[in-house]
Amino acid sequence: MRGGRLFIALMLAPELVVLALFYAYPVFQNLAISFTDLYLLRLKTGGNWIGLDNYRELFHSPEFGHVLFNTVVWLTIVSVVLRLLMGLGMALLLDSSVLKRLRLATAAKLAILVPWATPPIVAVVVWRWMLDAQNGIINAVLVKLGIVDNPVAFFADLRTVWPSVVTVIVWNTVPLIALSLLASLQSIPEELNEAAALDGASRWQQFRHITLPFLMPTITVLSLMSVFWTFNNFVYVWLSTGAGPGTFTNVLATEIYIKAFVDFRLGYSSAVGIVMALVMAAFGIVYYRFVATRELGESL
Amino acid sequence: MTSLSIDLAAERAPTRTRSVGRRSKPLATVVVLIATLVVLVFMVYPAAYILYGSFKPAGGMLGETSAFTLANYRRIFASGFLIFTINSLVICLSATAVSTAISVCAAYVFSRFRFRGRRALFGAVLFGQVFPWIVLVNPLFVAFAKWNLTNSYAGMIFCYTAFTIPFSVYMLTGYLATVPRSLDEAATIDGASRLQIVWRIVLPIMLPGIVATATYAFLLCWTEYLFALAFLTQTEMKTLPLGLYQFFGDDRVDWGAVMAASAIATLPTLVLFVPLQKRLTSGLAAGAVK
Amino acid sequence: MSKWMLRVAAAIFGMVAAFAPALAQQTVNLTFRFNDTEEKEMRAALDQFEKQNPGIKVTLQRIGWRDARDQFLREAAVGQGPDVVHVAQVWVKEMGQAGALQPLNDLIKQAPLTNGFSDFMAQELAQNKEGRIYGLPWTTDTWAMVYRTDLLKEAGVTKLPETWAELHDVSAQVKQRTGKTGFGFPAGGSASGAIWFLANCYWWSNGKAMVVQKPDGTYGMNLTTADVVDSMRYVKSFLTEGHNPTSNLSASDAHDPSILQALVNGQQAIATMPPNTYKQVLEMYATANPGKPVPFVSGPFPKGTVTRTSMIGGRMLGINANSKHPAEAWKLIRFLASEPIFTQYYTTQFPAQRSLLKNVNWSPELKGFAEQLGYARTWGPYSDGPAPIGAMWNATGRAFSAALSGQRREQDAAEELLQAVDKLMKTRSQ
Repeated sequence: MRGGRLFIALMLAPELVVLALFYAYPVFQNLAISFTDLYLLRLKTGGNWIGLDNYRELFHSPEFGHVLFNTVVWLTIVSVVLRLLMGLGMALLLDSSVLKRLRLATAAKLAILVPWATPPIVAVVVWRWMLDAQNGIINAVLVKLGIVDNPVAFFADLRTVWPSVVTVIVWNTVPLIALSLLASLQSIPEELNEAAALDGASRWQQFRHITLPFLMPTITVLSLMSVFWTFNNFVYVWLSTGAGPGTFTNVLATEIYIKAFVDFRLGYSSAVGIVMALVMAAFGIVYYRFVATRELGESL
Repeated sequence: MTSLSIDLAAERAPTRTRSVGRRSKPLATVVVLIATLVVLVFMVYPAAYILYGSFKPAGGMLGETSAFTLANYRRIFASGFLIFTINSLVICLSATAVSTAISVCAAYVFSRFRFRGRRALFGAVLFGQVFPWIVLVNPLFVAFAKWNLTNSYAGMIFCYTAFTIPFSVYMLTGYLATVPRSLDEAATIDGASRLQIVWRIVLPIMLPGIVATATYAFLLCWTEYLFALAFLTQTEMKTLPLGLYQFFGDDRVDWGAVMAASAIATLPTLVLFVPLQKRLTSGLAAGAVK
Repeated sequence: MSKWMLRVAAAIFGMVAAFAPALAQQTVNLTFRFNDTEEKEMRAALDQFEKQNPGIKVTLQRIGWRDARDQFLREAAVGQGPDVVHVAQVWVKEMGQAGALQPLNDLIKQAPLTNGFSDFMAQELAQNKEGRIYGLPWTTDTWAMVYRTDLLKEAGVTKLPETWAELHDVSAQVKQRTGKTGFGFPAGGSASGAIWFLANCYWWSNGKAMVVQKPDGTYGMNLTTADVVDSMRYVKSFLTEGHNPTSNLSASDAHDPSILQALVNGQQAIATMPPNTYKQVLEMYATANPGKPVPFVSGPFPKGTVTRTSMIGGRMLGINANSKHPAEAWKLIRFLASEPIFTQYYTTQFPAQRSLLKNVNWSPELKGFAEQLGYARTWGPYSDGPAPIGAMWNATGRAFSAALSGQRREQDAAEELLQAVDKLMKTRSQ
């Protein structure tokens, strides 16, 4: 449909106004601060201009590569991919006819919703307790089944700390993915699958050629949003490991937190924040151009 | 093509049922049940542990006792937990309503219209999401303080609305992409005005998507505590996550209260979700188009 | 007649109207931000204060300690924040410098303290070089060692360890003879982790310190790489020899639930913690074992080559620089620092006044803490000096954690730590 410029403007205006008011000021303020040496203790008086020094310090710091790797690979890629796979699996499970016949669907949906309603700090507390070496149930089960001889210190052992953190993140966030995909799954016209079945297509072929394309718009949106949220997230890592042991699980967001609220260096941490935003913006643009337009189809 | 898809739409029953003639395979049933069980255990066990711990002294974390107690619940309500819950409900429900309304308008326009700058504006919606919370909080606090928005419902509703709009707009646009345009076109041919199209035809069809998006937006706000921590300092304004966070002291943690508070935090979302989830499963409304 | 009456009525009305605002203004509203968990008790104390001072109303607020400092600094910078604020003693000078707290000197002169300012401990942390007092010390505590007497007996240990070497040996003995944890301490490196306290106690007891004030008034470090490596090796020995379980590498707080549960369940013999945490352990033991005698005893820190010591921790009360009612705020502070508060309401902490501390009723389990208070010292130059304590704390925790978990050799971690602290002391400008 064309035309009706006024209509379009009126429908878009509220959204744009809210977003502009909320994000514009902090973002530009941050950009300004990133070129200064502002301290939290000198908020009243302001900082001195130091140009690109903060950025230079960031890129030359020996830890930068490690922190970037943690953020990109462990925190973002691994947890988002796991979330999508598990979410898809759960959605398919919830959609299956078996559950409907046994009338378990509603209960299952509620059960899946529960982890999402749990505040992150409680999620971390409970999982740390479940994975505890002395008292945790997971170690008790592992030892009893003979899978390991001694209890594993999940959050202390460098080999298992990242998988443990990822587990907490996935547990707390997969319901969103699962339920969104479920909603999309259930809007697929059943006739398509039935027609294909009559034509002799196997379940897998049906899934690949009918179901999956239908879900792609939702998957596209969910993965983009998940990447953004996870890349910038500091709560899970901070509460579960404090970026430790040592600085092993330090990610960009916890680095900012340490620099801003422990070392009080607001200028430097703003610079890190701007760099993170640029990385995400670049990712967003690439994603948008190549993936989103294709999947969201002619509507974009 | 138009009429065909409309016919299909009209023939859709509210719930999907397998057509007659497909026999159920017992092996498939068993596999599905086992998989469901595994998934449910993984998702529910930690939360069940929290519920269990909420009835034990020190949340069952500092020692083994066989005693069950309600003291944890009594303690959290004595410290004003009810007020926190009410604040959370008011702020989150209002923010969800406002944000969803705004997002529906924007998503409809993005999905159905073509205009100059469409792509750019659509991308710009994500502008704020690329920034981590920490870099936003200090300048936002200064701004909120200047505009007298700290410790106010209005300020938090504004914050959470801005916080959830990008996600809602994207989800709704994506959802609208799967709703055929043909319905709109058919109605235009019938002479309906733009507003009538939106209100009478598109909205009912979008309803499952709107409900889903609103639910997610609500949950995003419900457990949010970083902005709330910065903007709400007066006890009577605090939200539920802040109330829970307060039980983490400097040299001791009231684990029992943490568990009880967490159990209470989960409750409203379940209560709200039960009546709404039916909407999530309905397909295109029957008889949407004559 | 009626006209005259009207005029009188108008005059009276006018006088009342003129005075009414003045009468209404007599109620002063104060906000007191108190960050501990004893909210109910503090509210009762404040009700008492309001009774004694009709015309002053106090609202109680609370922010968890983790975020208390940043939140207050933010608010103060924009002219907001509570009137009376509960702060850590090591924040007071910085906050005064930053213009967040107002000087109390005049208020002290106008309404002096019962036993005088000199009765208060940790005074040096409350005032800057020019003698401006920014906070009133309120509570004090120190860490001490905590022992389970039944496990020590089972392991054949007859007396509490006196030196660091003895502590190590006793811990190993417990593990060998009973299979349970000896000295289970949190070895994690989070930003406010407990390893900072242990490390400093060790260094101070050997006559070293990370920050000292030199005779010429400038600040320097009295710690070499060898000292740090030695302390790291000492701490690591507990982990590698198995009497501190390696899972404690992910525990950063003394009140970590796995440590506390180990103590309550009899799986661990020795620990170190502040008194409030210890009280939680005792309470939990009593709940889990009603009627049984409590097998816990506390003792002072081990001796090094020079002395035995620990750090005096504490909280202070300050007045927001933006407060509109400093005189009333000062009244509230003096009330909160009086003896009845500590005996009737806020009984979980110890007062920071020597005269009041003498009257505290120490239960037998807590005697070790009382003894340790006699040996304890304040942070002193750490707080006065150029480097922010939080940053040094974080750097120390990370360095130890990296060394203890094997990510770095002790030598490298120690060198990096000292370089980082050196940088902090040099680049931080006032």
